[in-house]
Amino acid sequence: MKSLFLPNARPPRTTFLLMAGGQVLVLLLLWLWMPLRIFPSLGEVLRALADLITTQGLIPELWASMTTALQALGVATVLALLLSYLTALPFFRPLAYAASKMRYLTLTGLTFFMALLVSSGHEVKLSVLIFATTVYLVTGMTSVILTTTQQEMDHARTLGLGEWRSFWEVVVLGKLDEMLEVVRQNFAIIWTMITLVETLYQSEGGIGLLLYKQNRYLHLDGVLAIQLVILAAGAAQDYLFTLLRRVFFPYSELATAR
Amino acid sequence: MTPYFYKFPVLTLDSVSMEFNGEIILRDISAQVLDVCRPGMEQGQVVGFYGRSGLGKSVLCRIMAGLMTPSRGTVLVGQEQEAVAPGAVGFVQQQYPLFNHRTLHDNLLLAAARKYADAAEARRQTDSYLERFQLTAHRRKYPAHLSGGQRQRAAIAQQLLCSDHLILLDEPFSGLDIAMMDEVKKIILEVTTMDELNTVVIVSHDIQTTTALCDRLWLLGYERDASGQLLPGATISPEHQYNLAEMGLAWHENVEAEPEFVRFVEHLKEEIRQSA
Repeated sequence: MKSLFLPNARPPRTTFLLMAGGQVLVLLLLWLWMPLRIFPSLGEVLRALADLITTQGLIPELWASMTTALQALGVATVLALLLSYLTALPFFRPLAYAASKMRYLTLTGLTFFMALLVSSGHEVKLSVLIFATTVYLVTGMTSVILTTTQQEMDHARTLGLGEWRSFWEVVVLGKLDEMLEVVRQNFAIIWTMITLVETLYQSEGGIGLLLYKQNRYLHLDGVLAIQLVILAAGAAQDYLFTLLRRVFFPYSELATAR
Repeated sequence: MTPYFYKFPVLTLDSVSMEFNGEIILRDISAQVLDVCRPGMEQGQVVGFYGRSGLGKSVLCRIMAGLMTPSRGTVLVGQEQEAVAPGAVGFVQQQYPLFNHRTLHDNLLLAAARKYADAAEARRQTDSYLERFQLTAHRRKYPAHLSGGQRQRAAIAQQLLCSDHLILLDEPFSGLDIAMMDEVKKIILEVTTMDELNTVVIVSHDIQTTTALCDRLWLLGYERDASGQLLPGATISPEHQYNLAEMGLAWHENVEAEPEFVRFVEHLKEEIRQSA
């Protein structure tokens, strides 16, 4: 128990799990007997969740949002990797720099321009998500590339690898695990954006629209239930990414301080 | 004295100077490593460049490895004395870098594939080096799982697998304990007796260990002008070039215990103090 309060300590796994379980229990108990009337009770949220699943199609809506998010993430990852790797060539550096700065653009203004450029609502939704995710990913990915040291590049060069091959070995292959981590961290941004975009283009539904409706009619229990579903989906995504990292890049965690 | 003679140059530094933003770091450095022959045995070369910390040794290493073009002067390597290019000289940096995303075997195989076009031969050479450097048991490990000594052996093996006889070690004794230092010495001696043309260049600030291993030594330091002012840029004075083979201090198994060696190291230390 003492180790739980020591800096950088590594408590036994069972102790740690017990502690985490205890914290969740305390949170649930607090929620059960919380005096704040504005906040829905645990029972109300569970009832709203059951209602959302049975009568309002929460699961299909979640699936629709999830597939759109994955689609956007896939395209954005490819684009961002391309833009980031192209920074090896001085000609493309201003492009990556500009792309990175575009994360300050507002979504509403962006949607208007996208609507002018593409035809269907789905395409607008997807292109907005792709654009916004790409600019965030480029920022993270270029910062990963910038961590490449002179020593790493020198090492590759002394093995007789040419400049492109050195770049491939050190920056592309050598940092692929960190790129996956950047994608994992930025996936959350898609969820915050998708809810907004789905309210702007309501024809295809989605969990964002469902959330918007619950908000509009002040169904706080429903809002909280959907937020918890999104939270659970996000946690599952995080776990999946960590698993992917462990499977495909087993060396990745070896040098990490725990 | 052990009979020996010299053949052709394998490394030449001709008036190498380096400046950064007008600041002279290295000035007119000239040195030549010759292929030494000892009848009846495979004897490569071990040469040393000694310099105090902050003198520009790492810059000199990068120039010799072809990773940096000097402001003036040239570096020529090999029997053909061609201008150095990246990859021509094996360079083991201080931190013994390896590709962290590749297993030890794949790290070595990547290097071997640079030299041996035939994939089967590259694999055979890789296995042979793993065996020779006592790393076979660790072949499937990633670099993060290797000990400091294993990592150092792996880094040297990797460079040897793809370089043409010349290998440059930047501070190979830095931060090592006695046992590890002995292990590095053993590796260096093994490398130089593997092939007649193998040449190990040690760039270090460990005067005793470097001197004990080398058959030639150069001291990097600052010179003074007629008025006693220090001249900018580290260089090698003519009086700071030592042929240890000629002095009878090379290739002895336990040279560090010999009184002559102890006296010589003391002399070197005095020279270093005076050039400070």
